[in-house]
Amino acid sequence: MSGVQPIPAPSLEDTRLAFLLAEDRVGHYPEFRAFLTRVFDLDRVGLAAPGYLRAPSGGVYALVFIGRSGEPFPAGVEISAVLPALEPLDEDAADRDLWAILRWLIEGVGGAWSVADLDATGRLYRIAASA
Amino acid sequence: MTTLVELPPSVRAAWPYEPRQARVNGWRMHYVDVGPDGGGDPVVLLHGNPTWGFLWREVIPPLLAAGHRVIVPDMIGFGLSEKPTREQAHSLDGHIANLAALLRGLDISNATIVGHDWGGPTGLGFALANPERVRALVVMSSWGWALPPSDFHTRVFPWRLMHAPLVGPYLLGRHNVLAGRGVYLSVVDRARFRQRAQAAYEAVLPDPATRLLTWTWPRWIPLDEGARALDRFNWIEQGLRAWKKPVQIIWGREDDVFDRGKFAGRFKALLPHAEGPHLVTGRHFLQEDSGPEIGALIADFLARLGSA
Repeated sequence: MSGVQPIPAPSLEDTRLAFLLAEDRVGHYPEFRAFLTRVFDLDRVGLAAPGYLRAPSGGVYALVFIGRSGEPFPAGVEISAVLPALEPLDEDAADRDLWAILRWLIEGVGGAWSVADLDATGRLYRIAASA
Repeated sequence: MTTLVELPPSVRAAWPYEPRQARVNGWRMHYVDVGPDGGGDPVVLLHGNPTWGFLWREVIPPLLAAGHRVIVPDMIGFGLSEKPTREQAHSLDGHIANLAALLRGLDISNATIVGHDWGGPTGLGFALANPERVRALVVMSSWGWALPPSDFHTRVFPWRLMHAPLVGPYLLGRHNVLAGRGVYLSVVDRARFRQRAQAAYEAVLPDPATRLLTWTWPRWIPLDEGARALDRFNWIEQGLRAWKKPVQIIWGREDDVFDRGKFAGRFKALLPHAEGPHLVTGRHFLQEDSGPEIGALIADFLARLGSA
């Protein structure tokens, strides 16, 4: 539905990570952390490797997980676009991809969280990517 | 970091006060301090999320006209104050301590503490920890206990989704939706707000890195027994039950964030001697619709208390 797919680690040769979004408390609602842990096998992988997603544009995004002493892992996560090393970011495309990633996240978390509510929230706050 | 000179001319014209700076807990806090120099009976106006001192611009003149000294800090993380980039910089206790550092530094006494939104728990916490410096309290569209939360704050759409993991940094960080649209949705006269005030709230949060507190504060609102600030909110509630100094309650008739029946009513139950609730035109950001009336209500309340 979201068009977002977890993918194996791509080759990072001649690429750079363009930072987009940081979340310091991915466990604020624990079901969000549980979903990411399940999808990326984080109980086994830990800090050894990022997770990767392919978004509807074809762009690849790295999810770098963050640990904090005394807190369940992961405590946080950063999302960066994997770009050709010397190319600028297409901001509009990245924003649409981030919205798709959020829809994928909400769909995967499930329970009380629905893509319909996320889309309604995006429309309420006039997020172009949600139109 | 935003400074006064970087604000749009219309905002600067509506906020003619000399900017002042204080170091509080290692942070740079912006505040204004206007009115009689060295006069007692200061009124301290405390904003919440995602506003800044500008929220009080139409409340200030009636207080000055009544002869009060008026102190308006911008919470660390908002307005023209320093904006930490790590969420660990923010806690309710830390913000209460920030306010204590400012007001002790100014050697404030006999103060009236006026709190809106997160300015409520912050100001109440300061008052309960420093009662010798406080003359009276005024609360509006706020709370001072742990549970239950407001119906608005328990709903997935739009509140909990807005600040959910990763969604919060996207909507409130990248897109600034609370300052850019949330305040607009929570006033009565939206056309007037858009014309006169919208730019002031957006201008002080120009980049995602400046907007951290807009999604951090929502996560500090207790929703259940596992909330981080539960003990502090319970302490505030217990303190309010024993509070005997004057209190005034002001609420917006159209408040759809802190339902006036439940929240103004609970303040009244905790503080039976409180004046009010006085109802004015307003949703959550009632100062935007009824600023002069609110200023006059506070000035009249303090006049009835007489000289300290």
